[in-house]
Order: sequence, then structure tokens, then C-alpha cells
Amino acid sequence: MKRMLLVMLALVLALPFAAPAGAQPDTLDKIKQSGALTIGTRTGSPPFAYVNKNNEWVGFSIDLVERLVKPEVEKAVGKSIKIEKKESTPQSRIPLLANNSVDLIAETMTDTPQRRESVDFSLTFFYTGAQFLVKKGSPIKGVNDIAGKRIASQQGSTNAKIIREKYPQAQLREFPDQPAAFQALAQGQVEAYTNDGIQLAGLKAKAPNPGDWEVVGDFYSEEPYGMAMRKGDAKFKATVDAGLKHGFESGKYFEIYEKWFGPKGDVPYPTTPQVKAYLLKQIGK
Amino acid sequence: MNYQFKWSVLWSGQSGGWLLQGVITTIEISALAWVLAVALGILSGALRTVPWKPVRALATFYVEFFRNVPLLVWMFFWYFGVPPLLPRAVQDWIFNHGAEFWAGMFALGVYHGARMSEVIRSGIQAIPRTQFEASVAMGLTTFQAYRLVIVPIALRLIVPPATSESLNLLKNSSVALTISVAELTFQTRQIETYTAKAIEAYTAGTVIYLVLCVAIAAIMARVERRFAIPGLIARGG
Repeated sequence: MKRMLLVMLALVLALPFAAPAGAQPDTLDKIKQSGALTIGTRTGSPPFAYVNKNNEWVGFSIDLVERLVKPEVEKAVGKSIKIEKKESTPQSRIPLLANNSVDLIAETMTDTPQRRESVDFSLTFFYTGAQFLVKKGSPIKGVNDIAGKRIASQQGSTNAKIIREKYPQAQLREFPDQPAAFQALAQGQVEAYTNDGIQLAGLKAKAPNPGDWEVVGDFYSEEPYGMAMRKGDAKFKATVDAGLKHGFESGKYFEIYEKWFGPKGDVPYPTTPQVKAYLLKQIGK
Repeated sequence: MNYQFKWSVLWSGQSGGWLLQGVITTIEISALAWVLAVALGILSGALRTVPWKPVRALATFYVEFFRNVPLLVWMFFWYFGVPPLLPRAVQDWIFNHGAEFWAGMFALGVYHGARMSEVIRSGIQAIPRTQFEASVAMGLTTFQAYRLVIVPIALRLIVPPATSESLNLLKNSSVALTISVAELTFQTRQIETYTAKAIEAYTAGTVIYLVLCVAIAAIMARVERRFAIPGLIARGG
């Protein structure tokens, strides 16, 4: 009996090592063979990536891949390719890249130093920061008002980490997804919901009565979004970056931005001059 | 697979403390829910076999209603559905005092109580009807017959399936993370957030669940041997 247990334990522990620790990843080669670029993206993060009313899987991040990255990859592999989409979550996205299930994460992933130890990031394609969603007229106006208050956050997000470390007086409640956190806010289980400002703006726009809710507070964190890929694949990273860079230079990026965040877009969220400067600085402008 | 393993994330920084907190919360919520499940299970399992029809119907309703709705829905029910029925001041009080934990505990306990009930009913029905008749012929009331004869024998018969059910309960406690209970799976996800080392964190969680479950199975096996009635049940090994 004891020996069997040891064998079982050993098997479980050995699983992660079972696949041969690989040579340098070559994503372009993989795409050339399969004819498809597989991206990991979200289904419920409007307007970045979500399933809309017509049951189409769309969004700003997906558009960037389709219109900026795809042509560049096609140029690099010398043939036309398809985009395939798989769902990724904060918990699953790095493992999905690691086991080759997807080639590129294009959703709402913040580029952080810890994550850079496991994956490579493209140029930043969106810049936001953490704020709070509250019922209109709430006494919470920003991060300095949250002591003793019940604050919802999303599990696995960088905001939850900052609240826990820098504002331990707040009672943090962490939910796995937006709908549960918003339900908790609507019913009073929590008094505010913190997430990246743009996500809160998206949630407010989609709420049954958008006028009942307010996004408040200055950014208390910096959240540059990047597309993630397997670490050490310089050729693929250069291709993805070239696509985005070309988009910034030609203005195509800002057309796509206007479509989703402009006055007629899903979530009106104009770029501030600082954000625009931040994005353009990456390409040396 | 292109991935740099770094197992040290599991013991460096705060990870060790988080895993420990997670294990404690998992054991707390599971132990309380288990007590509730066993109490509800014995009660409704026995009531499903008594000779009074309305009582049987009530117990059947409880079992079928609670075991046939997914556990995740029960978590949301106890956390989102029940509090609005209470006065506003009471709601605020419980939200400030661990509503997540208690909602999760009730969801687990009531759901597994319904499943435990079926295990106990099968134990009772495995006892020949003549035992009950003999007890009544000795002058015991129905209640006494159940309390002194039928239930004690049934509980000994059902140790193996009840063990499986208890292990399920422990593992299902991870569903409580959907309502923000910081149990073991929640903490492994947290380690992933801080370190971006998902595979290491989930492996740690897997191994801890395995160890907990094997320990519980070992304890239940001892209990089974300790309380066996000599000569009643033939067993191998």
C-alpha cells in the first residue's frame, strides 16, 4: 500500500516533465505547417474580446490580430493563414502558451515583470489603470476611501495584488469573473468593484441601467496590455511587433481604436494625450 | 513543451503561508459541511425508509431537489439568493462577518447531505426487514428500533461508500472559490498571479488534495475495522 502511494505521487509529480523540454520554439514554422495562427482570447471582456449579441466572437484585441498582426505573419510565412480562437482565462493563458495550444494571447493581459519571466510580450497595445465601479453617490471616490470597506476584485488580477499589499485595511473579496463580481456589487455583498478602468467602463456600458453606476478614482496602478507569446521566439515576436508598429505608423491602429472606443463604439473611452504619447513612444515617436 | 520550471516559487516569499492558510480553510469548511451533511444524511436517509408515506415524500423531495441541481448553482443560491431575504442591517452584518464562508459551508453541507442520504438509505435497505420486525416484536417503538438497531448497523455497512462521498465533499469545497472563499485552490491561483508559475502552483494543489484524501481514506479504514461487529460482515484482507 505504502509503495503504491509513493508510485502514485511520483507519477503526479512527473507529469509536468513528461513532455521533452523543447528546443527553441519556432511559432512561425508551426503556423506555416498548420496554416493557422491560434490565439487565446476572452469571451466576456467587452470590448476587447467577447461574444456579442449576434453570437460572434469579436473585440478590439481580436481586430488588432486580424487586421495588423495577421498580414505581417502572412508575409513572414509566405502564404495566407486563418485565425483560430480559443478561450483563455487569467489562470489558463500561460499554460496554454506553454503546451502549444495557442500561439498568441490577445485579450486583456497586463505586461508585468513576473509574467516576463514566463512569456514574452509584444509592444503595448492599450494602456489603462485600476479604478473603482460604485453605485452612484457612493462615499467611495478613490483608493484612499476603501479602508474597512468590502471591495470586490477579479481573482488573478494585478489590482487584487496591489490592494492586498498596499491597502490591507480593505476587506478584499475575489471573484473568478466579472459577472459574479458585478452581481456582488449590485446586491451589496461588496461596496465597490475594482478592475482596470476600461473594463469597468465596459461593464457599466453593458449594465441594464448604466446611469446607476460610476467609475471613480485616479489610476492607482499602471496596466499596459500586451500580447503574450512563448518565451525566446525572437522571430515571431519581431513579426507581431512589426504588425503593431505598422498599425501605429499608418494610423490603422487608431481607426480600430475609434471603432471600439470612439463616440459610436461599444464603450466610449477616448485616448488621452498621455496615453497616445505612451503608445507612440514605443516606436520612437 | 517550452517552459522554465521554477519549483522554488512554492516555498519562497509568501507562497508557503498562503498554501497553509488555504489548507486550513479547506479543512475548516469541509469539516463543518461534513458534519452538516452526515446529520442531514442520517435524518433524511432514515426518513426515506420509515413506514409513513408523507414523511418519506418529504425526505425524497429534499434528496432529489438538492442533489439534482449543480453545486455551483447552490453556491450562488446561498451567497446571492438567500441574503436579500434578510433585513438590510442583518445583511450588512453578515457581509462584514464572513458571509462567503458560511454560504459556501451551507451549499456544500446541504448538497452532500442529499447525496449522503442515498448512501445511508442503501445501508438501511441492505439490512433484512426481519431485523426491524424483530425489534418491534421485542417491544421497541419505531423510533427506538431505528436509533438502537437499524441506524447503528447501517452506518457500519456504509463506511466504504461514505468514504468516497466524504472525499468528494473535500474536493468539491474548491467550488467555493467562485464566491470568494480563500481555500486551497484559490490560494494556488493566487500563487500563479504573483509568480506567473501556473504549473508549479497547480501541481502543489494537486499533491495537497491527494495527501488529504489519502489521509481521510486511511482514517476511515481504521474506523471501519475498529467498529466492525464480529461475524456480521464478511470481509477480505
